Amino acid sequence: MRLFLAMAWRNVWRHRRRSVLTVMTIALGLAFNIFMRALGDGFHEQMVDNSVRAHIGHIQIHRAGYHDDPAITKTLPQPDRIRSAIESLPGVRGASFRVLGDGLASSAENSAGVSVVGVDPDEEPTVTTIHRAVIRGRYLERGQHKPCLIGERLAKTLQVDVGDSLVLLAQAADGSMAGEKYRVEGVFRSGAPELDRGVVYLVAEDAQELFVLPGRFSEAVILLDSSRAVDETARRLEAELAGLEVEVLPWYVVEPYIQQFIELDDAFFYVIVLILFIVISVGILNTILMSVFERVREFGVMMSLGMKPRQVVRLVVLEAFLLGVVGVVFGGLLGSAFTLYYEAAGMDFGAWAEGAAALGLTTTITYPKLTAANLFWSNTSVLLVVVLVAFYPAWHAARLEPVEAMRHV
Amino acid sequence: MSEKRPAALVEVRGVSKTYRDHVAVHALRDVSFSLAKGEFAAVVGPSGSGKTTLLNLVGALDVSDSGLIRIAGHELTATPREELADFRLRHLGFVFQAYNLFPVLTVLENLEFVAVLQGMAAAERRRRARELLAAVGLAGLAEKRPPELSGGEQQRVAVLRAIMTEPDLVLADEPTANLDSENAGILLDMMERMNREKGITFLFSTHDPRVMERARKLIRLRDGRIE
Repeated sequence: MRLFLAMAWRNVWRHRRRSVLTVMTIALGLAFNIFMRALGDGFHEQMVDNSVRAHIGHIQIHRAGYHDDPAITKTLPQPDRIRSAIESLPGVRGASFRVLGDGLASSAENSAGVSVVGVDPDEEPTVTTIHRAVIRGRYLERGQHKPCLIGERLAKTLQVDVGDSLVLLAQAADGSMAGEKYRVEGVFRSGAPELDRGVVYLVAEDAQELFVLPGRFSEAVILLDSSRAVDETARRLEAELAGLEVEVLPWYVVEPYIQQFIELDDAFFYVIVLILFIVISVGILNTILMSVFERVREFGVMMSLGMKPRQVVRLVVLEAFLLGVVGVVFGGLLGSAFTLYYEAAGMDFGAWAEGAAALGLTTTITYPKLTAANLFWSNTSVLLVVVLVAFYPAWHAARLEPVEAMRHV
Repeated sequence: MSEKRPAALVEVRGVSKTYRDHVAVHALRDVSFSLAKGEFAAVVGPSGSGKTTLLNLVGALDVSDSGLIRIAGHELTATPREELADFRLRHLGFVFQAYNLFPVLTVLENLEFVAVLQGMAAAERRRRARELLAAVGLAGLAEKRPPELSGGEQQRVAVLRAIMTEPDLVLADEPTANLDSENAGILLDMMERMNREKGITFLFSTHDPRVMERARKLIRLRDGRIE
């Protein structure tokens, strides 16, 4: 075997320039593949993280049926028990209990339909980044007289700013029509259009008062240390809360469009990878075919001496494999280095800021994320393509008749 | 009481071969001969007489249209084509006119090639290869590659490759055609010595008088027939 390995390796470098070009094709293709996959992974993770940190959290708990039919009367049963269950789980970074409802926000100038989100001003920053998104005024504080926080776009629609008042009209849980006046304490810009134009944050107690839901909450939102723990934590929560009439929902059930977008984006990526692999395959096929055609006489001699067709196939495929390994080593290093650089520096897609905002991204800087899975699958698939492509020229070589082959000039 | 004659190593009986391309070319017609073990024989005749065709058939590189070829008890004409490669590996050695050493392998590795295919242990094949090189004074070339050798040296290495696994029969197609007199003499001396010392049977195809002089048996072909 060592002899054939040496023979294959030396055959690879018989035409150094051609082999170097082929190695470069493989390496550049692989590096591109690794980088694009990492960019996709980073982009997806950022998208999920932005959505999770902007509002929805990793996991939400509601009364059963609330997600499909979010009626104001469907509030959490035994919020204290739910709080204890959340606090007992590992990997929970924070939790926020919210009061949710719909209403009409009116100023002296205009009015707009809004979602009202009542939060504990201390709890909410443990889950979302809304407190950091305040661009004018300040974040909510308990003790102020009915403060509210509104998005920049809503402020523009209502033509109000910090210090102004707005009135919220809503149907309360008891069926009555409620109306209260609130002072705009702060204006935020989250980057998420639906938040910036349609959400009014209140202190939880004020929201409970508005909707006549004393001591009650519509949802508990949980942030975890790692998004990878979502499914496991959700399962454990369900077990902890068995017997309570609640639904425990991971983020991708709450906002399925994010997951759907990721799947669609992955599908586009695979089409690009397919095209890339076809290009690499043609390069490899060309190199190995030329190498076989140049050595027809040599294969004839090998077969005359007793080499079997399957051994000829093995030799040609081994040559392609070695070529592939060199390409994969260089491509892996190049792709990793390039990706790691941008993983630290970030890539600014400022020119596409509008589109990024529509996808729930609060920043135009994307950080590619290099994962072991990316490296493993990219390297393995490129190597596999190289080896598979080599079977055609190998089969061609194995079918040669020794006598005919030795006459080949 | 009659003494039983030993079976011939090579037995060719009534072998014919016709190539059909645009026109039928009768390369061999009803050829018969036999070779005993240890023979040093040559198939001779002018160009186009069928020498190479006969060597290809005896070398299990091609199949005859009719007749029987038996080598070391194996009837080639009854052996499936896919098993012929294994027969060549186990029983035959080849020397080609154009040397046909593998340029990417060293001299030592070229000698080892067939032994590797046979599955011989690494230490054993290395020992044998070095012994053979030393025996013919080529030990110093062991780590050189064929393009670094002269034609005569390459052909001597090719002969060593052919006998490395001590086959039943070595077939040499015009082995001296590309060599000058001095190198041809050295090569023939070497093959005679291997024939004498190791009992290896040689069958040449040639029209070189230097080979004919040394051959102890001549099989003369003309127009595909034995004269």
